[in-house]
Amino acid sequence: MEMAIDTPSPSPSVSPAPSAAAGRQTRAAESVRLEHQLVRVPLEALRATARTNHRLAEKEIAAVLSSASSASVAPGESGSAAAVEHLTSLVSRLHGLKRKMEEGARAEELQVQRCRARLDRLAAASAGDDAEWEDIRLKRILVDYMLRMSYYDTATKLAETSGIQDLVDIDVFLDAKRVIDSLRNKEIAPALAWCAENKSRLKKSKSKLEFLLRLQEFVELVKAKNFLQAISYARKYLAPWGSTHMKELQRVTATLVFRSTTNCVSYKVLFEQNQWDFLVDQFKQEFYKLYGMTLEPLLNIYLQAGLTALKTPFCFEGNCPKEDPLSLDGFRKLAEPLPFSKQHHSKLVCHITKELMDTENPPLVLPNGYVYSTKALDEMAKKNGGKITCPRTGEVCNYTELVKAYIS
Amino acid sequence: MELDSLREAFDRVVEKRVLSSTKVQEAIDQIVNEVKQVISKMQMMDTDSMDSCDHSSILAELKAKLNEMVTLNQLEGCQKELNVALSKYLKVLEKSFNTDVSKAYRNVDFEDSTVNKIIANHFYRQGLFDLGDSFVHECGESDETYLKLPFQEMYGILEAMKARNLEPALTWAANNHDKLLQNSSMLELKLHSLQFVEILTKGRRDDALQYARTHLVPFASLNKAEIQKLMACLIWVDRLEQSPYAEFVSSTHWEKLAEELIHQFCSLLGQPSDSPLSVTVSAGFQGLPTLLKLTTVMAAKKQEWQTMKQLPVPIDIGPEFQYHSVFVCPVLREQSSDENPPMLMPCGHAVSKQSITKLSKSSSRPFKCPYCPSEAVASQCKQLHF
Ligand SMILES: [Zn+2]
Repeated sequence: MEMAIDTPSPSPSVSPAPSAAAGRQTRAAESVRLEHQLVRVPLEALRATARTNHRLAEKEIAAVLSSASSASVAPGESGSAAAVEHLTSLVSRLHGLKRKMEEGARAEELQVQRCRARLDRLAAASAGDDAEWEDIRLKRILVDYMLRMSYYDTATKLAETSGIQDLVDIDVFLDAKRVIDSLRNKEIAPALAWCAENKSRLKKSKSKLEFLLRLQEFVELVKAKNFLQAISYARKYLAPWGSTHMKELQRVTATLVFRSTTNCVSYKVLFEQNQWDFLVDQFKQEFYKLYGMTLEPLLNIYLQAGLTALKTPFCFEGNCPKEDPLSLDGFRKLAEPLPFSKQHHSKLVCHITKELMDTENPPLVLPNGYVYSTKALDEMAKKNGGKITCPRTGEVCNYTELVKAYIS
Repeated sequence: MELDSLREAFDRVVEKRVLSSTKVQEAIDQIVNEVKQVISKMQMMDTDSMDSCDHSSILAELKAKLNEMVTLNQLEGCQKELNVALSKYLKVLEKSFNTDVSKAYRNVDFEDSTVNKIIANHFYRQGLFDLGDSFVHECGESDETYLKLPFQEMYGILEAMKARNLEPALTWAANNHDKLLQNSSMLELKLHSLQFVEILTKGRRDDALQYARTHLVPFASLNKAEIQKLMACLIWVDRLEQSPYAEFVSSTHWEKLAEELIHQFCSLLGQPSDSPLSVTVSAGFQGLPTLLKLTTVMAAKKQEWQTMKQLPVPIDIGPEFQYHSVFVCPVLREQSSDENPPMLMPCGHAVSKQSITKLSKSSSRPFKCPYCPSEAVASQCKQLHF
């Protein structure tokens, strides 16, 4: 199936093809531009820490100030002693705050260091050691995958053994893990606390996570047959969402009538176990969004792109070379629903050397029509006194009988 | 990428963060100071007088001072400056990066268990056995670790080679003698040659000779030149490093041989020598920028991305990812197929069979090559096999 796209082609390789080295450089620079998550996540973490610290300082200082100004002295000796005591307690409260602020500053510094480490990593992309850059890149992506899949131990091990702790976001994910674990234990409080911490930003992105959590809490009350409590809960926490989520609100409050033993399908689902898995998923989505992460694991994204780029109809023929990932079952399975790539220009691979045949290593044609690279046939001729044996048909000819093919 | 502008914008963030943090610390210190002063004043007065009015006035003075400090406003201001710096940095990030790399992602069944098996075997084939085991334990795909044992054997052989012990390598090569020859690999001979040189460098000339007779002679019929070269080493014992045969004792020679062993080992296992996961992800990084642009263009034209069977444009990835020969007929701009194979005209230019039918108007009359002045007739054209 052809689909014509006649806007300027997005591919930089449309004729004339750039030189191999220039092509490699462009591709490398383009692929660095994909690393948004790498620099974004530690920045969001820094932002969150700074915000929390600032809020704490603001709250505590305001409290101390108002407490100091409300201090008064009752007449008599005991009055002044009480005033001194009150002021002394303020001092120790301030000392406590100072300690917390110092801790907070250290946490911020750690995140600053992380942000810098990632910028340094990006600089390493053009430093020339491609193999090292790609190796670390794959490890980062694997850690990301494992953290999203809750394989925390292996993620940590991989990060530590490769010395890439500053390039992955284990602590950010461990923070989320607390919420995920509690939701799996059917506890809602930590998730609600998380929503409160990030209230303004969740509101900005029109998140309804808090609403869903509140609904669940309500459903739990109904399940436990605490109907009066359920009603007052609904008044307090669900009613404010009425303007934006009326339908769902109606559906859920109707459970007061239908109860958990209901056979009515649309209500039954609210009482089911996998409702909690659904909440975990919802939380994860909000968490990813908040930190500027992709919703899918990076590994899946790059695997799909890679498989799409590599997938040709030839991969599914009998003699797909085993160096091609698509010769392997697992990769084929993943590639199945993906589109085939397309070529606008001939690209010929020498059957013998597996090297590309181009102007530097042009294709030579045997009398039987089989084509091999100049390099391979020169080598064969040198070894066998000018005799060429076709490796696929066994036919023998002379080097002088070969003709050059011009492939445009 | 303008890394410098990124760094510059981030430096501003850091500067404002430090400022905000020190301002908080200073404010706390200042308040503590004021309060402490008042406390000591009150305590001093306690001994002299009992006048609560004085105390009250001191407290009033404290209140006034604290109010004057306008601490909270200052903190607020610092935080605002920090936020401004942060938003500026975010803007630079948005300009420098592709902010949504998942735009080209297809919402299709991408089975976790298949991906997990690929990862487990990736760890094993990289020799990261602890990580592999830990991963398998956590993801629970224990029945798909078929690469663990063979790769443990391979890394055992390589470890021994690093310690300059060739025995395990030689044993493996001997066990796979026939298969290696089928692959037309000279690995076994090369290993024996290296062992011969090793014995020689230890100064045991007789042993070396004996070794050559037993292990090298069986290869002599096919590799006369190679073996003659080796035997000449006998003359240079003690100073092989300075001899024309120095290559045999160099460490790069060992490394090359280790590489070849990996290649052959994987080949006999039916596995690629490079991790297919690494290869695919690298191809993904190279291909994704084009895919992202393509989805943008298609979305603008309201074309369906999710179900398309073939990409409408080529993806530019490096030649290292080219595993299949693709012939695109330059006349029809179509990939060749069994029905429409590539043909070679006598001038050396290649076009598809259908193009030749078109050019010759299905006749046996000569037609002009579209790429040069030469003429050809259909019967002179030869089918090509890449
Ligand atoms: Zn021609």
